[in-house]
Amino acid sequence: MQNRFARACWLATACVGLCAVVAAQQDAAPPSVFDAKPTPILSGGVAFVPTWEAGDPTLVSIVSPVVLVPLGNNFVFESRAEFEGDFQRRQGNSGDFTGAIDKSLEYAQVDYIGNRYVTFTVGRFLTPFNIFNERLYPNWIRNTQSDPLIFPIGTGSDNGVMLRGGVEVGKDVTLNYAVYFSTLSNLNHLESERHAGMRAGIFMPHERLEIGGSVQHEFEDARFNRYGAHLVWQPQRIPFDLRAEGVYSHEEGNGLWAEGAYRLHNAGPAMLRRLQLVARTQLFYASTFTALNPDLPATDTKRTEGGFNYYLNDGWKALASYGRTFTPLGNSNIWTVGMTYRFLFPLGAIR
Amino acid sequence: MKAFVTRMVLPFALAITAASAVAGNAPRPAQSAVAGSEGTPTPELNEKWMIEGQKRYLINCGRCHQSPHLFSPRVMSMAVRHMRVRAMLTQEDMDYLLYYMTHQ
Repeated sequence: MQNRFARACWLATACVGLCAVVAAQQDAAPPSVFDAKPTPILSGGVAFVPTWEAGDPTLVSIVSPVVLVPLGNNFVFESRAEFEGDFQRRQGNSGDFTGAIDKSLEYAQVDYIGNRYVTFTVGRFLTPFNIFNERLYPNWIRNTQSDPLIFPIGTGSDNGVMLRGGVEVGKDVTLNYAVYFSTLSNLNHLESERHAGMRAGIFMPHERLEIGGSVQHEFEDARFNRYGAHLVWQPQRIPFDLRAEGVYSHEEGNGLWAEGAYRLHNAGPAMLRRLQLVARTQLFYASTFTALNPDLPATDTKRTEGGFNYYLNDGWKALASYGRTFTPLGNSNIWTVGMTYRFLFPLGAIR
Repeated sequence: MKAFVTRMVLPFALAITAASAVAGNAPRPAQSAVAGSEGTPTPELNEKWMIEGQKRYLINCGRCHQSPHLFSPRVMSMAVRHMRVRAMLTQEDMDYLLYYMTHQ
């Protein structure tokens, strides 16, 4: 039965690949305006975000390079690594700062842009469960610097295969989807779970509203499902972003977060137009099987944060925030200040 | 495991396969809309594409991050291709964005 199942999976994968190749070959040559040959890029972000949680300082320092290499007309290689040092004082509140640098390969994937409806990905990729992991994780993008409490559920990196794409299904509706299978890996820096899942979302450009859902099935010892839902809304009339995610997992816990960000684009003084006010609130309800995912809070937790981002230019961002965490074991403050920077350099000819 | 994959993941993948094979060779809008007889856009088409490109730029890119610097068409072509996969842009989004970001 295992062999039959494996054969079915391979057959489906081969079928998708073949159809994508055939369909792509049927596309006519693009017009000259799109003839610019893509060149390799080194991009990424740098962040220095000292955080004081319950009075203990941590110097969070992150370098996250992204390499993009075009491989012919339809293939892309893309990869992101992360080097993060969370330096803490030796004696809690005194002494010098020390700590190891955590290195991880977040994705190293080859994408085949088969046709207008499907992209075929193989390698190590970010798990498409909800949207924070794939779209909002880099420090220079996220509005609030700390990870959401529910972030460890269903996210991370996978080693396997994925189909994904976005399709305009009407003038004002776009459908996006991702379906994936990941295999188990215990290799250092290349860890992944054995699971399969899918995510689908509907984006309405006119309303600037996206809603979607995710489901994932874990194939490891304790086989179980995870469910997620996400929402992104940017009303047209005001420079406001609303982002929210929710997760349900009977085995790991459930929770949600919602974040609002208001950019003072219409402020009188030009200096204030670079300012963005941010607030986020989140809930997490722990399950009775807390050992399943040690990255999650061990008890029910609520956290509310507020702060600002100041965009010095399109690459530099200064930030500060304050939050309060509530748990049955006690409450604590969380302070964050810092800077983030996004960079991009071509690695090949640009003309 | 088998039930989950057989009932949900596999049919979804097969449906995508079938749909993409049937409809995937439809012409890109850019091919007919932008290219004039000599491969250069007319002023009217250029304006139309710039307006649509800016709209899609604000809607898609602005949902997550700030405006990037402007780079050469070869760099932008790579960045847009990356974001097509990352942000699941449609082919139409990609065409309009590339046009807009290389014609400002």
